[in-house]
Amino acid sequence: MFTYLLKRLLLFFPTLIIISLIIFGISRLSSIDPVAQQLVEFEELSFEALQKEQQLLAKKWGLDKPVFYFTLSSKAYPDTLHKIGLEVERQACEKLIAQYGNWDKIQLYRQALFDFEAHVYQLPDSLSNQKIEIRAKTGQLISNYKDVVLTSLLEQLQTILSDNTIVQTKLFLSFERLNQSYQTLKTNTTLQLLYLPSFRWHGLNNQYHHWISRFFIGDFGLSYYDARPVADRILEAAKWTVLLNLISIFLAYLLSIPLGVFSAVKRGTAWDSLLSTLLFMLYSLPSFWVATMLIVFITTPEFGMDWFPTAGVGRLDDSASFWQRCWSYAWHLTLPVFCLTYTALAFISRQVRGGMLDVFGKDYIRTARAKGLSNSKVVWKHSFRNALFPIITLFASVLPASLAGSVIIENIFSIPGMGRLALSAIFQADYPVVFTILLITAILTMIGNLIADILYSWADPRVTFT
Amino acid sequence: MTTESSHTTAQSYGQRIRMQFFKSRRAKWSLRIVYVLLFIAVFADFIANEKPIYCQIEGIHYFPILHEYAENLGWTKKEKRFLRGEWQDYEYERVIFPPITYSPSSIDLYNKYKSPFEEQTIKASHFRHWLGTVDVGKDVAAGLVHGTRIAMMVGIIAMLIASIIGILMGALAGYFGDDGFELTRAKCWMGLFGILVGLLWGWWLPWNSILLAAEEEQFFIAFLKGIGILILSLILFFLLAKGLERSPFFSTKVSIPLDILVMRLIEVFNSVPTIFILLAIIAILEKSSIFHVMLVIGLLRWTRIARFIRSELLRIRSLGFIEASKAMGFSNVRILARHAIPNALTPVLITIAFGIAAAILLESALSFLGIGVGPDEMTWGKLLNYARMKTSAWWAAIFPGMAIFITVTVFNLIGDGLSDALDPNKHER
Repeated sequence: MFTYLLKRLLLFFPTLIIISLIIFGISRLSSIDPVAQQLVEFEELSFEALQKEQQLLAKKWGLDKPVFYFTLSSKAYPDTLHKIGLEVERQACEKLIAQYGNWDKIQLYRQALFDFEAHVYQLPDSLSNQKIEIRAKTGQLISNYKDVVLTSLLEQLQTILSDNTIVQTKLFLSFERLNQSYQTLKTNTTLQLLYLPSFRWHGLNNQYHHWISRFFIGDFGLSYYDARPVADRILEAAKWTVLLNLISIFLAYLLSIPLGVFSAVKRGTAWDSLLSTLLFMLYSLPSFWVATMLIVFITTPEFGMDWFPTAGVGRLDDSASFWQRCWSYAWHLTLPVFCLTYTALAFISRQVRGGMLDVFGKDYIRTARAKGLSNSKVVWKHSFRNALFPIITLFASVLPASLAGSVIIENIFSIPGMGRLALSAIFQADYPVVFTILLITAILTMIGNLIADILYSWADPRVTFT
Repeated sequence: MTTESSHTTAQSYGQRIRMQFFKSRRAKWSLRIVYVLLFIAVFADFIANEKPIYCQIEGIHYFPILHEYAENLGWTKKEKRFLRGEWQDYEYERVIFPPITYSPSSIDLYNKYKSPFEEQTIKASHFRHWLGTVDVGKDVAAGLVHGTRIAMMVGIIAMLIASIIGILMGALAGYFGDDGFELTRAKCWMGLFGILVGLLWGWWLPWNSILLAAEEEQFFIAFLKGIGILILSLILFFLLAKGLERSPFFSTKVSIPLDILVMRLIEVFNSVPTIFILLAIIAILEKSSIFHVMLVIGLLRWTRIARFIRSELLRIRSLGFIEASKAMGFSNVRILARHAIPNALTPVLITIAFGIAAAILLESALSFLGIGVGPDEMTWGKLLNYARMKTSAWWAAIFPGMAIFITVTVFNLIGDGLSDALDPNKHER
C-alpha cells in the first residue's frame, strides 16, 4: 500500500514534466511573433530606436533567451541565434545557414544589410517616394533567404539607385558593400559544417525553465493581447468556471445516485427500461444542441417564452444587496448549469446502475437477503456502501469532462469563464493564455486521476502497480 | 436448451456474435441507419447539388455532376456553355435535378433566413428550400447532406488512425508484457544508437534544409532521404550488434518493459484534455481544415483502444492456441498478426463504435464554436451555429441538431449492442 502510493506519487512528476514539455513544444511551433506584432506601433521611430525597442520587447516576453537547456544542432549554427529578436529574421538566418553553412559570412552580409538600412533611414524626406520603396525592398531582403528572391531584390534596388542621382550618391557605397557581401556569402560556402553535430549547454537561463519555474509560483507571464499578467485574467475567469462546475457536478451526483439505485433495484421492469432509455438518450444528446435550443426557444420573445436571459452573467452595481446578487446569478446560471448537469447526470447514473448490479450479484447480498433483512437495508446498507466507492472515483473522469463541457457551454451563454477565455485567446493569438490554461487543465486532470487511484488502492488493497 | 447450445457451438465465434447482435432490434435498426448515413455521405453530390444530374440542351446530353468529378481529377476542362449563368436559368430541353437543388455553398440572396413554411422567392416548386435557409440564403438541407459526409469522414478516419495506433500499442503491451520482449544487450544498445544517429543525421541536423525543400515542393524527396538515412543507420548498427554479440557481456538478454512504457504513454495522453489540446493545436495552425481535426482526434483517442486490446491480449496470451503456436516455433510477429490480434479484435469494435460517436460529437462541437473548419466546408456544427446568430431561426437549431443527435445515438447504440452481444453474463441474468 505505502510503496504503491510512493511509486504513484513519484511517477506523477515525470509525467507532469513530459506534459509540460509537450505543451511547451507545441507553443514553440506557433508562427505568431509578439515582438513583430507590437513593433508595428513604433513604425515612425528612427533606425536605432527601432532596434532598441525590438530588444526591449523581446526581453519583455523573455524571448531573448535560448529556448531550452541545451541545443543540439550542427556546427554551422551559432549559439547566439536566439538573440535575434524577430522571428522572421531568425528564420531567415537559419535558412541561409542551411543553404550555405557559413555563419561568419552571413553575419557580414547582415551587418552590411543593416548598415544599408540605417543609411536609407537617413535619406532626406524630399525623396520620400524612393525612401519608402527602398525601405520596403530592404525589409524584404531581411526576411528572405532564397537566392532567386534575394538576387532579384538586389537588382531592383540597383535600378532604383541608378534612377536617381541623389539617392545614388547617398547610398552607393553601402549598397556596393551589401552586394559584395552577398556575393562572398554565396561563393564561400562551408557546407561540411552542416553535418558536424555540436551540443551546447545554455544553463538555467532559458525560456522553458523560466516558463515552468514561474508557472509553479503562479506567475504565468504576460498576455500578448493586452500585456496584463495572465494570472490575473485566469483568476478572474476561474471564479466562474469553478462555480459552474461545482454546482453542476454536485447536482449531478445528488440526482444520479437515487436514479441509478432505483433503476438497479427495479432491474428488468418497465421502469428500468424507461429510465435506461431516457438516460441513454440524454447521454447522446449533444449539450451544445440543447443549449442552442434553449436559447432559441425560451430566452427570446419570438416564441412567447422569454423566461431566461440569453447570455452573460448580468451586471449589478455595487449597491446591490447579497440576496439580489444571488438571485441575479441564479437566474443567469440556471440554463448553463442545467446543460452541464444533464450530461454528467446521464453518465454517472449509468455507472451507478452498473455498479449496483455488480454488487447485487455478490454472495454476501444473497446472504443478507437470506437472513431476512428488509429490502431497503439490503439496498442501502449492504449494496450501496459497496457500490459507492467506484462512484466516488468516477469524479476523476467527471471533472475533465465537465471542464471540457464548460468550454462549449460558457461560450454559448457568454459566461466569462476559463473556457470562454481560452477560445477568445485563441482567436486573439494570445498564446501565453492558451498554453497556461492547457497546462492547468492537464494538471487538474492528473490530480483527479491521482486521487482516484489513491482512493482505489485504499479501498481495495489488492490494487497493484501498472 | 441442449439443442440451442449444440447449435451455437457449431458456429464460429464471429457468427455467434453476429447472431446475438442482430437479436437486438435496436442494434439492428441502428446499423440500418448507419448504412443510410453512409449512402448519403457517399452520394452527397447526387443528392444535393445546384447542378443537374443530367440535362439536354440543343440536342446535346450533359452530365454536369459527373463532369465536375472529371474536372477535379484534371481529365477535362470546364464546359464552356456553363461558364456564365446560373444553373437554374439555362433553357433545358430535358433535365433531371437532384432531389435537393442546392449545393451547400450556393447563395440565394432572395431567400435569407427563410423558414421552411414561409413563402420563398423561387422560380419553380422543385427549387424550394425544403428545410429553410440560413445566412445569405444557404440551403439547410444541402448543408445537412454534405455535413453527413464530413461527419462520417471524421468518425471513420479519426477512428482508423486511433485503431492503428491503439491496436499496435495495446498488442505490444499486452502480448509481451514486461518480460516477454527480450533482446540481447548488443541489439538493445545498438538499436537505440541506430535510431538516435539516424534521427540526428536524417532529420534533426538537416531540418531547415527539409523545410526549404518543402517550400520548393520537393518535400517528398527530402522525406525519402531522411527515412533512407534512418534505415541505413539502423542496418549499420544492427550489423555492429551482430559482431558485438560474440562477447558474453553483450549477448546477455535483457527484457524491455513494454507494458510499463506503453501504460506510461497512455497516462500522458489521458492527462491532456482532448478539447483543450485540440483548441491549442488548431490555434497554432495557420490554415486549419477538417483533416487536421480528424488527425488530431485520431492521434489522441487511441488510448482506450490500446487498453482494451492490452487486457484482451493479457488474457489470450496464456491460452492454448498461443502456446501451441509458440511451441511450433512461429515468430512473435506471426503469432501476433495471425493469431493474437485477430482474436482480440471483436471486443475492440465496441470501443471503436463509441469512439466514432465521440469523434463526431467533438468535431461538431468544434465547428459549432467556429474552430477547425474551412470557410467553404459546411458541417452540422457550423449549421447549428447559425441559430445562435439569429435566434428566431428555429429550423437552423432543430435540423442539424437532430442529425448530430441521431448519428451519435446510433453509434452509441451499436456500441451498446456489441457489448451486450459479447458479454455472455448479460444473458444469464
